[in-house]
Amino acid sequence: MKTKSIKKQKLTAAIITTVLVLFLVAIVGFPLLWMAISSFKPATELFTIPPKIFPQDWSFEWYKQAFQNENVIHYFWNSIYIASIVMVIDMIVGTLTAYSVTRFEYKGRKVLRMSILAAYCVPPIMLMMPLFKIMAKLGLTGSHVGVIIGHLTVTLPFSVWLLISFFKKLPKEIDEAALIDGANEWQVFSLIDLPLCVSGVLSTGIMAFIMSWNEFLLSSVLVNKEAMKTLTVGISNYISSTHIDWGIIMALGTITTVPVVILFALVQKYFVEGMTAGAVKG
Amino acid sequence: MGQTLEKRKGILSSYSRRHSFVGFVFAIPAIIFLLVFVLYPVIYNIALSFTDASLSAKKAVHFVGIKNYVRMFSDKLFKQYFWNTCKWTFWSVLGQIVLGLGIALLISRPMKGATAIRSFLLIPYVVPAITLALIAKWIFNSDYGIVSYWLQQAGLIEARQSLLAMKGPAMWVVVILNIWRSYPFPMLIYWAALKGIDREMYEAATVDGANKWQSFRYITLPQLKGTTMVLIVLRTIWTATYYDLIQMVTGGGPTGSTTHLPILIYQASFGSFQMGYAASISMVLGVLMFICIIFYIRTGAADD
Repeated sequence: MKTKSIKKQKLTAAIITTVLVLFLVAIVGFPLLWMAISSFKPATELFTIPPKIFPQDWSFEWYKQAFQNENVIHYFWNSIYIASIVMVIDMIVGTLTAYSVTRFEYKGRKVLRMSILAAYCVPPIMLMMPLFKIMAKLGLTGSHVGVIIGHLTVTLPFSVWLLISFFKKLPKEIDEAALIDGANEWQVFSLIDLPLCVSGVLSTGIMAFIMSWNEFLLSSVLVNKEAMKTLTVGISNYISSTHIDWGIIMALGTITTVPVVILFALVQKYFVEGMTAGAVKG
Repeated sequence: MGQTLEKRKGILSSYSRRHSFVGFVFAIPAIIFLLVFVLYPVIYNIALSFTDASLSAKKAVHFVGIKNYVRMFSDKLFKQYFWNTCKWTFWSVLGQIVLGLGIALLISRPMKGATAIRSFLLIPYVVPAITLALIAKWIFNSDYGIVSYWLQQAGLIEARQSLLAMKGPAMWVVVILNIWRSYPFPMLIYWAALKGIDREMYEAATVDGANKWQSFRYITLPQLKGTTMVLIVLRTIWTATYYDLIQMVTGGGPTGSTTHLPILIYQASFGSFQMGYAASISMVLGVLMFICIIFYIRTGAADD
């Protein structure tokens, strides 16, 4: 009797779990799927009432139209260019810093760790005006330098934070053994420790790329020429105008999101590992 | 044998001495960057808040004392926007932490495809805010939006009406959107924290006759206390200062009902060119953040 009721309980629990999971998957998936579907609907179907779930004719019309606009191509290149540079700088500077903080003992090391965490909490809205003033004074608002620096203020503390968890896992004895065998500090770093952390460094770089690609506020403030804007800023101009081309917007939204989701899928394993390795602990 | 050990010790101690300088050298690029592009701007911002600086670099800047602060605190709109900020922050943080914990509990149950489900549920973490914003504008579009259509059919809102154009509901919509994009972070952290709880504690409790709810209430929740504190602090900072989503979805409207301090700061600086005044408003957020950071450091989460 008792085992039967336990079995029944387990079954109910399993059913409830499945229903909840399906519900969550739908909540997360529906908006994104709806955007993608809408981008393939021809104009006649996009604006029907009641809205149809799947289009009868799949159309690439909106994508063609979107890329006929020269600015859209600029936005794309700008986003790729800026995010790539941000990624490389974060990987180099972030790795050196995380390495320094985790492998060495020196005065001020703790202060540095704290400062990085504090910097991680300084929001773009506070940096926006000073950075704008600084860039204007240096005459850099017509270039991408300001945006790149702006993105670094957000991504560098994050990168260091994530990288610390990867370098922490390497036993320090490896370094000591190499040093005793006559390797110098740079050799220990570049020939021993770095190769062991290469997947962590790469995935941190990709995460920095994604953050830079998604960034909006600083990108909108720190560059003034239309042809130099990033995708997020370009699209936001479209959706705040009075006449909105919904089809084109949906197409642009889809091609802005797909690369990011693919990149994230590639590095997720390492990202989860790094984030949960005690970086935030109670 | 003893000699080699001594020798080794000698090398090791010289090794840690040598470290002090080399280690510092590795960190120099980041230190310079943080000083020039984070610390200096923060100080710059504080200084700006006591001046009448405008957006243009040509206008002369004067020191005006606490005039900006007096103006801010006597401004009725500021009070309204401050409350909007509190509402936005409180419900967003509460929502994402409760949802994050709920999902973490759900996906830490043994089940098929748990990793795939977790991966899928993490996606909103990287979905650009602009994507969420344009989807929201589309599904809540008064004429063609699918959610508006459902609500209209159900008789919850009038025909050709949108939640985003209604004063009360607009705030709820942006809060829900914000919860959608920000629950993955707490979910992930809670998921890791749950894995770290000793299984034996549950077994012992079951032997002592505790039911599921009691185990949760008296083992799981206390074990998650530290994690929750850190999450609340971090998410409060990030939410209260988060500009992008509201700006893109409602632009602060209708009639200021979703305007919060970050939007007010933007409007004051790049809308009406009063940088000094905008800087003083951002100091309100700055003080809040400072309190949060101190609190964060004191929880010990920043230690090794």
